[in-house]
Amino acid sequence: MTVDECTRCHGQLEHGDLRCAVCALPVEALEAVERTTRAQVLRCMECNAAVAFSVAAQAPRCAFCGATMAIEQLVDPLEVAEARIPFSVDRDTAARALRGWLGKRGFFAPKTLRDEAVLETLTPLCWAGWVCSAQATVAWAADSDQGSKRSAWAPHAGQIPMRFEAIVVPASRGLSLDECKLLVPYYDLRRAVPVASEAIPGEEPAMIESFDAQRSAARRHVQRSIEATAKTRVEPHIPGRRFRNVHVACLLQGQTTERVALPAWVLAYRYRGRPYRAIVHGQRPEMVFGRSPVDWAKVATLVASVLAGIAVVVALVLAYR
Amino acid sequence: MRFECGQCGAALEFFRVRTEVCPYCASPSFLERPASSVHPDPTFCLAFTGDAAWAKTRLQRWIGRRMIIADPALRHATVEELRGVYLPAYLYSAVARTDYTASIGEHYKETETYTKTHDDGTKTTETREVTRTEYRPLSGEHLGYITDVVVSASIGLDHATFARLQPFELRQLRRYSPTLVSGWIQEEFSRAADECMRVSRSDAVDDVGDQLRSFMPGDSHADLHWSTRVEWESLDPVLVPVWVFAVRYRGDRAPIRVVINGQTGAIAGKVPLSWWKVTLLALAAAAVLLAIALLVLHFREPPP
Repeated sequence: MTVDECTRCHGQLEHGDLRCAVCALPVEALEAVERTTRAQVLRCMECNAAVAFSVAAQAPRCAFCGATMAIEQLVDPLEVAEARIPFSVDRDTAARALRGWLGKRGFFAPKTLRDEAVLETLTPLCWAGWVCSAQATVAWAADSDQGSKRSAWAPHAGQIPMRFEAIVVPASRGLSLDECKLLVPYYDLRRAVPVASEAIPGEEPAMIESFDAQRSAARRHVQRSIEATAKTRVEPHIPGRRFRNVHVACLLQGQTTERVALPAWVLAYRYRGRPYRAIVHGQRPEMVFGRSPVDWAKVATLVASVLAGIAVVVALVLAYR
Repeated sequence: MRFECGQCGAALEFFRVRTEVCPYCASPSFLERPASSVHPDPTFCLAFTGDAAWAKTRLQRWIGRRMIIADPALRHATVEELRGVYLPAYLYSAVARTDYTASIGEHYKETETYTKTHDDGTKTTETREVTRTEYRPLSGEHLGYITDVVVSASIGLDHATFARLQPFELRQLRRYSPTLVSGWIQEEFSRAADECMRVSRSDAVDDVGDQLRSFMPGDSHADLHWSTRVEWESLDPVLVPVWVFAVRYRGDRAPIRVVINGQTGAIAGKVPLSWWKVTLLALAAAAVLLAIALLVLHFREPPP
């Protein structure tokens, strides 16, 4: 998809880009035609009548025959994945992982959860994400306890070069942002293959999710995510032991963005009539995240026991005072 | 410039515009000419997303909201002229490096003693915690890309009015093509690129100022000064869609001009005020303020 490089920030330019997505430098048009001065009527290809731009059709339309000239396309297409990470967890392993996870839900989970939960659906999903790399100069400003006087805080500022490598930014509609953030650290991105490549033996065909944003909006999302990462990564550079009010400004250079489909098993299970959802990581079956029921009788018993204990202590204190 | 209509041969006058509709055969014509520094070819174009009816609805709503202070004749105003115009503008972007200095305020708590006079006249010394601010100097560099600064390149629309129409939805940007403006009015560029570059740069520095204010640490800041160096500037001619209305509300007065952003519906215009309405409103506001002040004075605790 990459066709060129921006001369200002060295970021990727793709086919159809009018401006660089990072620094907004316009992309040069290809043709330069020599022209003479004359009045020209733009004509319909169908009936040769004059055409005018129609707001309703968002394209030039002939007022006589109604033909629309499809010469102009919206240059903001929806993103599609270029690479995918194959599943290394099969259906049975995912189901077993769920059972194992249900059995370890802690004290407040119902005792019968593992045995009574009914697995309803088990869907392999390749959720959409951007994988970004960039070089950046990061200017930061923050308060820290270093050099503080009467106030506990003193202001500091600085600048550091940073390299961002393979930062995964979720773009999924099916999974929530929190679910994606839990899954991301456990993916082995080195195993990515082109999205059109054949399934590896034993791999189940999975739905590849489309991206939830158009290209221009997507890249803003990516930049915000890089800034959030930069905020965390400047923290060790702030002098002192405690800090607050960390602000960063990033000048990105040479940003590359790959659209990747990341594997996960989405499980819907039902316990005593109520539906719940859990996600099993597509590469690491031990990584299971999701919601599970709470045994409110256990919660009530514990609260009652604590209250009873407090009442006993209070009674003893009053009796011996 | 005068040319023949390509459809019926009638004479067409192109004055400060690049498109004309033939008054005889209604054919939309487009002036093809070599680009020059005075009349550059637009690089990009933003298309209209609302039609004339949509723009009129916006105008009626805008007038309705201002009737409380507007001349009553405006309610029965007629739209004398309505034009969908592709307005010339410049799109600016750059790299900005900014050196700044500021006094950063950090709050701290202090216990102070004060004398309290009781109802019976006795006085006691008490303590209370107060928040004070310690100011510390900070200097540094802020950097980033400046994008999406758009300034008017039409002498017919000043920068302040144009600023009120913004922002434009630049995600809908298209590469300029005559077919996009066919049948509409495309105004020619009438402001020099140098002037637009100066205005854009000044807007960009203001933008940096806004970013710096939220970049400052501390609980507050003062004496923020900055100096911005812009590098890698780009300035590209672009056409933006606006609806221009001439609204006549009294026979003896000139019509008012109202401009509407053809994408977002943002409106810039000057409403003719009704002075008796404004006076009544000011008096009503003063009466309310006076009533509040009297109530506060009435219920306030007597001083010790």
